[in-house]
Amino acid sequence: MFVYEKTLQYPVKIANPNPKLAKFIISQYGGPDGELGASLRYLSQRYSMPYPELKGLLTDIGLEELNHLEMVGAVVHQLTRCLTPDEIKAAGFETYFVDHGAGVYPQFASGTPWTAATMQVKGDTIADLTEDMAAEQKARATYDNILRMSDDPDVNNVMRFLREREVVHFQRFGEALRKTQERLDQKNIYAFNPSFDRK
Amino acid sequence: MANRNYMAEHKDCNYKNGHLEPCAPLAAAYVPFQQENPPTYGNTEALMRGTLFPGLDLPFMNVVNKTVPCAGTPLGEIMALGFVIKELNLYLDTHCDDEEAFMMLRKIIALYNEGREKYVKKYGPLSVKDSIYTDSYKWLCDPWPWEYTERMGHK
Repeated sequence: MFVYEKTLQYPVKIANPNPKLAKFIISQYGGPDGELGASLRYLSQRYSMPYPELKGLLTDIGLEELNHLEMVGAVVHQLTRCLTPDEIKAAGFETYFVDHGAGVYPQFASGTPWTAATMQVKGDTIADLTEDMAAEQKARATYDNILRMSDDPDVNNVMRFLREREVVHFQRFGEALRKTQERLDQKNIYAFNPSFDRK
Repeated sequence: MANRNYMAEHKDCNYKNGHLEPCAPLAAAYVPFQQENPPTYGNTEALMRGTLFPGLDLPFMNVVNKTVPCAGTPLGEIMALGFVIKELNLYLDTHCDDEEAFMMLRKIIALYNEGREKYVKKYGPLSVKDSIYTDSYKWLCDPWPWEYTERMGHK
Protein backbone atom coordinates (compact mmCIF):
# COMPACT_ATOMS: atom_id res chain seq x y z
CA MET A 1 0.00 0.00 0.00
CA PHE A 2 1.03 3.57 -0.42
CA VAL A 3 1.13 6.33 2.21
CA TYR A 4 1.17 9.98 1.11
CA GLU A 5 3.89 12.27 2.44
CA LYS A 6 3.04 15.95 2.14
CA THR A 7 6.38 16.93 0.61
CA LEU A 8 8.10 16.60 -2.76
CA GLN A 9 11.22 14.47 -3.14
CA TYR A 10 13.08 17.57 -4.35
CA PRO A 11 11.79 21.15 -3.92
CA VAL A 12 10.09 22.88 -6.88
CA LYS A 13 10.06 26.65 -6.73
CA ILE A 14 9.56 28.28 -10.14
CA ALA A 15 9.65 32.09 -9.70
CA ASN A 16 8.41 33.02 -13.19
CA PRO A 17 5.36 31.48 -14.90
CA ASN A 18 6.19 30.50 -18.49
CA PRO A 19 3.62 28.45 -20.45
CA LYS A 20 6.05 28.05 -23.37
CA LEU A 21 8.13 25.71 -21.20
CA ALA A 22 5.06 23.94 -19.80
CA LYS A 23 4.09 22.97 -23.38
CA PHE A 24 6.99 20.54 -23.68
CA ILE A 25 7.79 19.73 -20.04
CA ILE A 26 4.29 18.15 -19.85
CA SER A 27 5.82 15.29 -21.88
CA GLN A 28 7.68 14.11 -18.79
CA TYR A 29 4.30 13.94 -17.01
CA GLY A 30 2.37 11.89 -19.57
CA GLY A 31 4.61 11.58 -22.64
CA PRO A 32 6.13 8.48 -24.27
CA ASP A 33 9.13 8.42 -21.90
CA GLY A 34 7.54 10.28 -18.99
CA GLU A 35 7.17 9.58 -15.29
CA LEU A 36 3.61 8.21 -15.41
CA GLY A 37 4.64 5.48 -17.85
CA ALA A 38 7.78 4.79 -15.80
CA SER A 39 5.88 4.29 -12.54
CA LEU A 40 3.19 2.08 -14.13
CA ARG A 41 5.80 0.05 -16.02
CA TYR A 42 7.79 -0.89 -12.91
CA LEU A 43 4.85 -1.22 -10.53
CA SER A 44 3.09 -3.52 -13.04
CA GLN A 45 6.14 -5.58 -14.03
CA ARG A 46 6.96 -6.44 -10.42
CA TYR A 47 4.16 -9.01 -10.00
CA SER A 48 5.86 -11.59 -12.20
CA MET A 49 9.38 -10.96 -10.89
CA PRO A 50 10.90 -14.19 -9.50
CA TYR A 51 13.61 -12.99 -7.07
CA PRO A 52 13.41 -10.84 -3.89
CA GLU A 53 15.91 -8.22 -5.12
CA LEU A 54 13.82 -7.72 -8.29
CA LYS A 55 10.50 -7.45 -6.43
CA GLY A 56 12.12 -4.90 -4.10
CA LEU A 57 13.89 -2.86 -6.75
CA LEU A 58 10.85 -2.53 -9.04
CA THR A 59 8.67 -1.53 -6.09
CA ASP A 60 11.22 0.99 -4.79
CA ILE A 61 12.00 2.59 -8.18
CA GLY A 62 8.29 2.49 -9.18
CA LEU A 63 7.48 4.47 -6.04
CA GLU A 64 10.24 6.97 -6.72
CA GLU A 65 8.79 7.53 -10.21
CA LEU A 66 5.50 8.53 -8.58
CA ASN A 67 7.46 11.17 -6.64
CA HIS A 68 8.89 12.36 -9.94
CA LEU A 69 5.43 12.45 -11.54
CA GLU A 70 4.36 14.74 -8.71
CA MET A 71 7.43 16.96 -9.19
CA VAL A 72 6.87 17.34 -12.94
CA GLY A 73 3.21 18.10 -12.23
CA ALA A 74 4.35 20.79 -9.78
CA VAL A 75 6.67 22.31 -12.42
CA VAL A 76 3.85 22.45 -15.02
CA HIS A 77 1.40 23.82 -12.42
CA GLN A 78 3.79 26.57 -11.34
CA LEU A 79 4.73 27.48 -14.93
CA THR A 80 1.03 27.99 -15.78
CA ARG A 81 -0.19 29.77 -12.63
CA CYS A 82 -1.81 33.24 -12.67
CA LEU A 83 -1.94 33.56 -16.48
CA THR A 84 -4.07 36.08 -18.40
CA PRO A 85 -5.78 35.19 -21.72
CA ASP A 86 -3.28 37.47 -23.52
CA GLU A 87 -0.31 35.67 -21.97
CA ILE A 88 -1.80 32.32 -22.97
CA LYS A 89 -2.21 33.45 -26.59
CA ALA A 90 1.26 35.03 -26.74
CA ALA A 91 2.83 31.74 -25.58
CA GLY A 92 0.86 29.61 -28.05
CA PHE A 93 -0.63 27.80 -25.04
CA GLU A 94 -4.25 28.15 -26.20
CA THR A 95 -4.40 24.68 -27.80
CA TYR A 96 -3.70 23.11 -24.40
CA PHE A 97 -5.74 25.70 -22.50
CA VAL A 98 -9.04 25.17 -24.34
CA ASP A 99 -9.00 21.47 -23.42
CA HIS A 100 -7.45 21.55 -19.95
CA GLY A 101 -7.41 25.14 -18.63
CA ALA A 102 -4.65 25.47 -16.06
CA GLY A 103 -5.03 21.80 -15.09
CA VAL A 104 -2.25 19.23 -15.48
CA TYR A 105 -3.18 16.52 -18.02
CA PRO A 106 -0.97 13.51 -18.89
CA GLN A 107 -0.08 14.05 -22.53
CA PHE A 108 2.88 14.04 -24.94
CA ALA A 109 4.49 17.37 -25.90
CA SER A 110 2.67 16.86 -29.22
CA GLY A 111 -0.73 16.70 -27.47
CA THR A 112 -1.36 12.94 -27.78
CA PRO A 113 -2.89 11.65 -24.52
CA TRP A 114 -0.81 9.30 -22.35
CA THR A 115 -1.13 5.73 -23.56
CA ALA A 116 -0.13 2.35 -22.14
CA ALA A 117 1.10 1.59 -25.67
CA THR A 118 4.33 3.41 -24.68
CA MET A 119 5.21 0.71 -22.13
CA GLN A 120 5.28 -3.06 -21.89
CA VAL A 121 4.88 -5.77 -19.27
CA LYS A 122 6.30 -8.86 -20.97
CA GLY A 123 6.29 -11.28 -18.06
CA ASP A 124 9.83 -12.30 -19.01
CA THR A 125 12.52 -11.32 -16.53
CA ILE A 126 15.32 -10.51 -18.98
CA ALA A 127 13.01 -8.76 -21.46
CA ASP A 128 11.36 -6.60 -18.76
CA LEU A 129 14.65 -5.55 -17.12
CA THR A 130 16.16 -4.77 -20.53
CA GLU A 131 13.12 -2.59 -21.35
CA ASP A 132 13.57 -0.82 -18.02
CA MET A 133 17.20 0.01 -18.83
CA ALA A 134 16.13 1.40 -22.22
CA ALA A 135 13.30 3.36 -20.59
CA GLU A 136 15.75 5.07 -18.22
CA GLN A 137 17.97 6.02 -21.16
CA LYS A 138 15.02 7.46 -23.10
CA ALA A 139 13.91 9.49 -20.09
CA ARG A 140 17.49 10.70 -19.56
CA ALA A 141 17.68 11.79 -23.22
CA THR A 142 14.33 13.62 -22.87
CA TYR A 143 15.69 15.58 -19.89
CA ASP A 144 18.81 16.37 -21.97
CA ASN A 145 16.51 17.78 -24.67
CA ILE A 146 14.51 19.80 -22.13
CA LEU A 147 17.77 21.25 -20.78
CA ARG A 148 18.69 22.20 -24.35
CA MET A 149 15.35 24.03 -24.82
CA SER A 150 14.86 25.70 -21.41
CA ASP A 151 16.71 28.80 -20.16
CA ASP A 152 14.87 29.06 -16.82
CA PRO A 153 17.31 28.37 -13.94
CA ASP A 154 14.55 27.29 -11.53
CA VAL A 155 13.20 24.77 -14.04
CA ASN A 156 16.64 23.50 -15.04
CA ASN A 157 17.58 22.96 -11.38
CA VAL A 158 14.71 20.46 -11.07
CA MET A 159 15.36 18.89 -14.50
CA ARG A 160 19.02 18.21 -13.61
CA PHE A 161 17.94 16.40 -10.45
CA LEU A 162 15.40 14.27 -12.34
CA ARG A 163 17.89 13.50 -15.13
CA GLU A 164 20.50 12.26 -12.66
CA ARG A 165 17.93 9.93 -11.10
CA GLU A 166 17.54 8.24 -14.51
CA VAL A 167 21.31 7.55 -14.55
CA VAL A 168 21.16 5.98 -11.07
CA HIS A 169 18.10 3.89 -11.95
CA PHE A 170 19.83 2.63 -15.12
CA GLN A 171 22.75 1.47 -12.97
CA ARG A 172 20.44 -0.35 -10.54
CA PHE A 173 18.43 -2.07 -13.30
CA GLY A 174 21.70 -3.11 -14.91
CA GLU A 175 22.90 -4.61 -11.62
CA ALA A 176 19.52 -6.35 -11.19
CA LEU A 177 19.89 -7.87 -14.67
CA ARG A 178 23.39 -9.08 -13.78
CA LYS A 179 22.08 -10.69 -10.58
CA THR A 180 19.38 -12.39 -12.65
CA GLN A 181 21.87 -13.70 -15.21
CA GLU A 182 24.05 -15.09 -12.44
CA ARG A 183 21.14 -17.22 -11.18
CA LEU A 184 20.50 -18.72 -14.64
CA ASP A 185 22.11 -21.62 -16.51
CA GLN A 186 25.54 -20.22 -17.46
CA LYS A 187 25.64 -22.41 -20.59
CA ASN A 188 22.29 -21.00 -21.83
CA ILE A 189 20.76 -18.05 -19.99
CA TYR A 190 17.69 -18.26 -22.28
CA ALA A 191 16.95 -21.91 -21.50
CA PHE A 192 13.86 -20.90 -19.48
CA ASN A 193 12.00 -17.79 -18.29
CA PRO A 194 12.32 -17.53 -14.49
CA SER A 195 9.17 -15.35 -14.42
CA PHE A 196 7.11 -18.29 -15.73
CA ASP A 197 8.85 -21.67 -15.95
CA ARG A 198 9.22 -23.78 -12.82
CA LYS A 199 12.80 -24.92 -12.54
CA MET B 1 33.92 -8.74 -0.40
CA ALA B 2 34.37 -10.32 -3.83
CA ASN B 3 34.03 -6.86 -5.29
CA ARG B 4 36.78 -5.45 -3.08
CA ASN B 5 39.18 -8.27 -3.92
CA TYR B 6 38.55 -7.64 -7.60
CA MET B 7 39.23 -3.94 -7.18
CA ALA B 8 42.47 -4.69 -5.30
CA GLU B 9 43.63 -6.79 -8.26
CA HIS B 10 42.79 -4.03 -10.74
CA LYS B 11 44.65 -1.00 -9.47
CA ASP B 12 43.50 1.27 -12.30
CA CYS B 13 39.91 0.92 -11.07
CA ASN B 14 38.54 3.66 -8.80
CA TYR B 15 35.06 4.54 -7.51
CA LYS B 16 34.03 5.65 -11.04
CA ASN B 17 34.62 2.09 -12.29
CA GLY B 18 32.85 -1.14 -11.45
CA HIS B 19 33.20 -4.86 -11.51
CA LEU B 20 32.78 -6.88 -14.77
CA GLU B 21 33.17 -10.61 -15.24
CA PRO B 22 36.37 -11.55 -17.09
CA CYS B 23 34.47 -14.37 -18.82
CA ALA B 24 30.70 -14.18 -19.30
CA PRO B 25 27.82 -15.76 -21.28
CA LEU B 26 27.17 -14.32 -24.75
CA ALA B 27 24.01 -12.50 -25.91
CA ALA B 28 23.60 -10.67 -22.59
CA ALA B 29 23.90 -7.04 -21.45
CA TYR B 30 26.41 -6.20 -18.73
CA VAL B 31 26.48 -3.12 -16.54
CA PRO B 32 29.47 -3.07 -14.17
CA PHE B 33 28.51 -3.55 -10.50
CA GLN B 34 29.13 -0.47 -8.38
CA GLN B 35 31.85 -1.48 -5.91
CA GLU B 36 30.97 -1.86 -2.24
CA ASN B 37 31.47 0.93 0.30
CA PRO B 38 31.56 3.68 -2.38
CA PRO B 39 32.39 7.31 -1.51
CA THR B 40 29.36 9.47 -0.70
CA TYR B 41 28.32 13.13 -0.73
CA GLY B 42 26.94 14.90 2.35
CA ASN B 43 23.15 14.87 2.69
CA THR B 44 22.35 18.27 1.18
CA GLU B 45 24.93 17.91 -1.59
CA ALA B 46 23.45 14.50 -2.45
CA LEU B 47 19.99 16.04 -2.85
CA MET B 48 21.43 18.90 -4.93
CA ARG B 49 23.36 16.55 -7.25
CA GLY B 50 20.56 14.00 -7.53
CA THR B 51 22.72 11.14 -6.24
CA LEU B 52 24.51 10.14 -3.04
CA PHE B 53 27.38 8.67 -5.05
CA PRO B 54 30.09 10.77 -6.79
CA GLY B 55 30.84 7.72 -8.96
CA LEU B 56 27.35 7.86 -10.51
CA ASP B 57 27.23 11.66 -10.84
CA LEU B 58 27.32 12.08 -14.63
CA PRO B 59 25.81 15.50 -15.49
CA PHE B 60 24.67 16.72 -18.93
CA MET B 61 27.27 19.11 -20.44
CA ASN B 62 29.02 18.85 -17.05
CA VAL B 63 26.65 21.51 -15.64
CA VAL B 64 25.61 20.79 -12.04
CA ASN B 65 23.24 22.41 -9.55
CA LYS B 66 24.89 24.90 -7.18
CA THR B 67 21.83 25.29 -4.92
CA VAL B 68 18.73 23.49 -3.66
CA PRO B 69 15.71 25.82 -3.15
CA CYS B 70 15.11 24.98 0.53
CA ALA B 71 18.63 24.07 1.68
CA GLY B 72 19.21 24.90 5.34
CA THR B 73 15.50 25.09 6.25
CA PRO B 74 13.92 22.55 8.62
CA LEU B 75 12.01 20.91 5.72
CA GLY B 76 15.14 21.00 3.55
CA GLU B 77 17.02 18.97 6.17
CA ILE B 78 14.29 16.34 6.24
CA MET B 79 14.12 16.19 2.43
CA ALA B 80 17.90 15.68 2.23
CA LEU B 81 17.79 12.87 4.82
CA GLY B 82 14.79 11.30 3.08
CA PHE B 83 16.66 11.39 -0.23
CA VAL B 84 19.74 9.68 1.23
CA ILE B 85 17.47 6.97 2.68
CA LYS B 86 15.93 6.40 -0.77
CA GLU B 87 19.33 6.28 -2.47
CA LEU B 88 20.70 3.77 0.07
CA ASN B 89 17.48 1.77 -0.30
CA LEU B 90 18.08 1.35 -4.05
CA TYR B 91 21.81 0.66 -3.55
CA LEU B 92 21.11 -2.03 -0.95
CA ASP B 93 18.51 -3.68 -3.23
CA THR B 94 21.43 -4.77 -5.42
CA HIS B 95 24.17 -4.76 -2.69
CA CYS B 96 22.33 -6.35 0.24
CA ASP B 97 25.58 -7.67 1.80
CA ASP B 98 27.23 -4.23 2.15
CA GLU B 99 27.17 -3.94 5.95
CA GLU B 100 28.64 -0.45 6.02
CA ALA B 101 25.88 0.86 3.73
CA PHE B 102 23.29 -0.83 5.94
CA MET B 103 24.77 0.81 9.06
CA MET B 104 24.69 4.17 7.27
CA LEU B 105 21.04 3.57 6.36
CA ARG B 106 20.18 2.92 10.02
CA LYS B 107 22.06 6.05 11.13
CA ILE B 108 20.31 8.27 8.58
CA ILE B 109 16.88 6.83 9.43
CA ALA B 110 17.47 7.68 13.10
CA LEU B 111 18.35 11.29 12.19
CA TYR B 112 15.34 11.46 9.85
CA ASN B 113 12.91 10.22 12.50
CA GLU B 114 14.27 12.66 15.06
CA GLY B 115 14.17 15.66 12.69
CA ARG B 116 10.78 14.74 11.34
CA GLU B 117 9.17 14.54 14.79
CA LYS B 118 10.53 18.00 15.68
CA TYR B 119 9.34 19.42 12.36
CA VAL B 120 5.86 17.96 12.57
CA LYS B 121 5.32 19.22 16.13
CA LYS B 122 6.25 22.75 15.03
CA TYR B 123 4.89 23.05 11.47
CA GLY B 124 2.14 20.44 11.12
CA PRO B 125 1.69 16.92 9.74
CA LEU B 126 3.62 15.43 6.81
CA SER B 127 1.31 12.40 6.80
CA VAL B 128 -2.15 11.84 8.30
CA LYS B 129 -0.65 9.64 11.04
CA ASP B 130 1.34 12.67 12.25
CA SER B 131 -2.01 13.93 13.61
CA ILE B 132 -0.96 12.16 16.82
CA TYR B 133 1.32 15.19 17.39
CA THR B 134 -1.29 17.93 16.62
CA ASP B 135 -4.09 19.27 18.80
CA SER B 136 -6.53 19.68 15.89
CA TYR B 137 -6.98 18.38 12.31
CA LYS B 138 -4.18 20.26 10.51
CA TRP B 139 -3.77 17.86 7.57
CA LEU B 140 -5.67 20.19 5.24
CA CYS B 141 -3.59 23.30 5.96
CA ASP B 142 -1.95 24.98 2.93
CA PRO B 143 0.48 24.88 1.27
CA TRP B 144 0.38 21.54 -0.52
CA PRO B 145 3.72 20.39 -1.95
CA TRP B 146 3.10 21.44 -5.57
CA GLU B 147 2.08 25.00 -4.70
CA TYR B 148 4.40 27.95 -5.25
CA THR B 149 5.28 29.75 -2.04
CA GLU B 150 7.61 32.70 -1.57
CA ARG B 151 9.29 31.05 1.40
CA MET B 152 10.03 27.39 1.20
CA GLY B 153 10.80 25.04 4.01
CA HIS B 154 8.21 26.44 6.41
CA LYS B 155 4.51 25.80 6.74
